[in-house]
Order: sequence, then C-alpha cells, then structure tokens
Amino acid sequence: MANQSVARQHAYVLVASLFILASCLLHAQFNTQGITPPPGSNPSPAKMTFFVTSVGMGKGGDLGGLAGADAHCQALAAAVGAGGHTWHAYLSTQARPGQPAVNARDRIGTGPWFNWSFAQLGAPQNAVISANLGELHGDTLVQAQRGSNLFKQSTRNEHGQLINGVGDTPPIQHEILTGSKWDGRAYDDNADHTCNNWTSSTTGSAQVGHSDRIGNGSSWNSSNATKGCSQTALESTGGAGLFYCFAIN
Amino acid sequence: MTKIISSALMVCGTVLLACSLLFAQVQRPGEYPRGVKPSPMMNFFVTSEPIGDGGNLGGLAGADAHCQTLAAAAGAGNRTWHAYLSTQARPGQPAVNARDRIGAGPWYNFKGEMIAQDLAHLHGDTMELAHQGNNLNKLTGLTEKGQIVPGLYDYSDPRDNDWNYAKTTRFSTRHEMLTGTQTDGTAFTDAQDHTCNNWTSNASPAPGRGGDLNASDGRLNAQIGFPDRNGGGSGSWNSAHGTRGCAQEDLPKTHGIGLFYCFATN
Repeated sequence: MANQSVARQHAYVLVASLFILASCLLHAQFNTQGITPPPGSNPSPAKMTFFVTSVGMGKGGDLGGLAGADAHCQALAAAVGAGGHTWHAYLSTQARPGQPAVNARDRIGTGPWFNWSFAQLGAPQNAVISANLGELHGDTLVQAQRGSNLFKQSTRNEHGQLINGVGDTPPIQHEILTGSKWDGRAYDDNADHTCNNWTSSTTGSAQVGHSDRIGNGSSWNSSNATKGCSQTALESTGGAGLFYCFAIN
Repeated sequence: MTKIISSALMVCGTVLLACSLLFAQVQRPGEYPRGVKPSPMMNFFVTSEPIGDGGNLGGLAGADAHCQTLAAAAGAGNRTWHAYLSTQARPGQPAVNARDRIGAGPWYNFKGEMIAQDLAHLHGDTMELAHQGNNLNKLTGLTEKGQIVPGLYDYSDPRDNDWNYAKTTRFSTRHEMLTGTQTDGTAFTDAQDHTCNNWTSNASPAPGRGGDLNASDGRLNAQIGFPDRNGGGSGSWNSAHGTRGCAQEDLPKTHGIGLFYCFATN
C-alpha cells in the first residue's frame, strides 16, 4: 500500500516535471528576442556609431547634465571597443536665464550612423540607422511618413542586444530619454521636459521616445512624458533611464 | 521519503505555475487566441493566409474577394471588405489609390482596438500626424483570426526564406504586407512596376543586384509595408521596400508570403 502510494507520487513528479520541461521549452522558443545578436555576425563594434545604452545611470532623470550623459555613452562604448569615436547622448536641454537651449539633433554629427549588428537578409552587418539628420527626424512629409531605419531590430545596445519592447518579457525598457520634440529640438514652453536639464531625480518629467516605435503612436524620439524623474517613475511606464548615443565622428 | 516527494512536488508546482504565467503573458506570434471571437467592431485585419499565387491576386477584385471570404469565415461577412492595394495607371485606365478604397474610418482590429481615427491619421497627412504615427503595430496588426503576425526573429529559422517551408507552418516570418502604395496611400506614378502588374503577375524576374531588398531596375515587384514597424528600408506600415519578384517563391526571400491589409468600407 505504502509502496503503491510512493509509486503514484513518483508518477506525479514525473508528469509534473514533463509539464515544466514542455512549458519552459515552449517559452524559450518564443523568447528569442532580446538575448543575443544573430549568430555568425562578424561586423565590428568599432564601426558602430549608434547605440542605446545597455544600462541607465541609476538615478532616474539625473544624468549629471549633458556632460554626465556624454561620459556614460563614452564609457559604455569604450568598454566594447568603440571608444575610438567621440560619443554624445541624444538629449536636448531647455533654455534657462543666461543659458540657451541645446537641441539633441545639433549634438550628433551628420551621419550616416550604424548600429552594432543587424543581420539583414542573412548578411550580418553594421546596419545603417539613418543616412542623415533629415531622414532620422523626418524633416519632409514623406520622410516623416516613412520613418527611418531606426526600428526595433536595428535599435540595439552597445553589445548588439535588442531592447525589450511591447510584447516582450518584462522588464520592458523601450522608453528612451530624449527631452526632445519630434524634430529633435528642445521644447520652448515653460513646462519641464528634461528632468530639469538632466539634473533631477525627483520632480519634473522627461519626454521619451520608443525604441520599438510602439506606444502612443510610433515615434522613436518623442512619444510621451514620464510620470516623474525618479528611477521608479521611469520604470513604472516601461523605461529604465536608457538613452540614445551617437558618434559625431 | 514522502516528505521529500511532497516538497519536490511543491517546488515543481511553483516552478510550473511561474513558467505558465510567464508563458501566458504573451501570445505567441502566429498562434490563435483561445476561445476569443472577433470584436463586432472589427473593420480592419491582416489576412491570415495569402492567396498563394504570389503577386497575382486576380487584380483588385480577386484581393477584395479574399478579404470578404476570410471575414465571412471569421463571422464578419456582414461588412463590405476591400484590400488595401493600389494599382498603377495604364493606357485608358487611371491609377487607383489604396487610400480611396477603404472608407473613412475609424478602424478597429480583432480586439476592438483602434488602428486609426481617419485617413489622415492612418497615413500621417500632416507633419504632426506623420511624426506621431497611427496605432498600427505588432500587437494591434492582428489577423481576422486574432493572430499576431510573426516578424523578424520571432522564430529564428533560416527556412523562413523558403516558401516550401513557410507554407507548412503558421510560425514563420511573414510580416511584409503587399500594398503597391506610396507612404501617403496613393499609387506610384513612375514608370516602374510596384504592383506586380496591378496584381496580375506571378512572374519571377531575373535577379537584381546582390543583397538588394528590391527586385530593382524596373523588374516586376510589389511595394510592401510592415504591421510591426520592424523591418528593412524603414519601419513604414505601408511603404518600406519592394519584393524580389512576384512569384510566390520570391516573396519569402524578404520575409513575406503575400499577406495584405483588409479594411471594411462600412
């Protein structure tokens, strides 16, 4: 009797284990995004001139101003062998008394910009993100309707990894700090769109875009405002305080 | 002994639960939602299946009939359905613009989620609307059966480029929607083909330049867009790049199988 019971329990364990295995396998099969770049890639990180920061700076919207954010870009790039470029964060700051506004689009050179790796049609390459400032920002109506090559599969971090977006396994990190309008320029109203020019980790708000171009429309650089400037506030709406880095040379 | 087994069972159960929760959170692209019927508001969908003869859809009439048949099978046959396709001008035959064929909106998907308010919102007729974009994306661009359309790397299978494989499964990359349309929803006005000869050709032209997304150089091809905004050329929903040719076997080479958008005009 006791033996029968033990045997039955063994059977339960076996069945349960099989279920777990099957369920995990199914899950693993779906979740192929966000882990590694496509296999067989041989493009070089040194040729990369665009990436999304793999990590934020941890203090929400306080990036230590533009200088702090630029240094973060440079350090992350250097760590993967792309320190040969001069890196700037794609961020605007708003005008203050005696201090003119800075437009993100004026900080990033003239392009073209390339990501770390995107295998297009089976050909691994440092894929182009945009040919120039006009294409990147949609300066003409056709460019704006069309969009640039900045889409989920091409918008990778400095390791060549995808940024978790809508529909992916949490945490979703697709809200990218920009503080910018659609055209890549600073806001000129009195509201805060830059976490006090990237020095606040408490009050205020930052304009963000979506790296997967999904959410409140399809803008990569200006889709909505964060609920606050703390790290928690950024994370509450699918962000992590990540930002775009562009090499200016 | 029993105690060990019990705790093993507990652990297994917890892991199983956690795993199922993780898994249940996302609907696998290509998968049918279980026990869910289309919203009665559905007046937009991506075709769950191609016609199967490449760029030969039997013209606009054939494509419209495909929309109507799929809609009817899903219980939405009470509306009048049109395919979102343009045709190019021919001698004695004016061009037809996809945007003029689909009513006035607003359009809703399988779940009743709004895709776009009106034609201007759908196409981004002003700078502001174009920058904002419409609400069509990977999770809203659903088929009439409620499926998410498999996109790049959802299933990393190199056979995705082979129609002989793609036709055997719902789970291969197939996110290129035939449109034959420019970004503003109108027909192309140049001399090149962008519509597989107004959706009557299944010809496979001589290969274009190596590595090109397009057939290029004036060869027969169809302009496509991505419901998931995630593919080469640009993330445009209706006009990203051309196909390699018009044969059914040509379409998977750039990750399409000949699906298209259907809109109800009423």
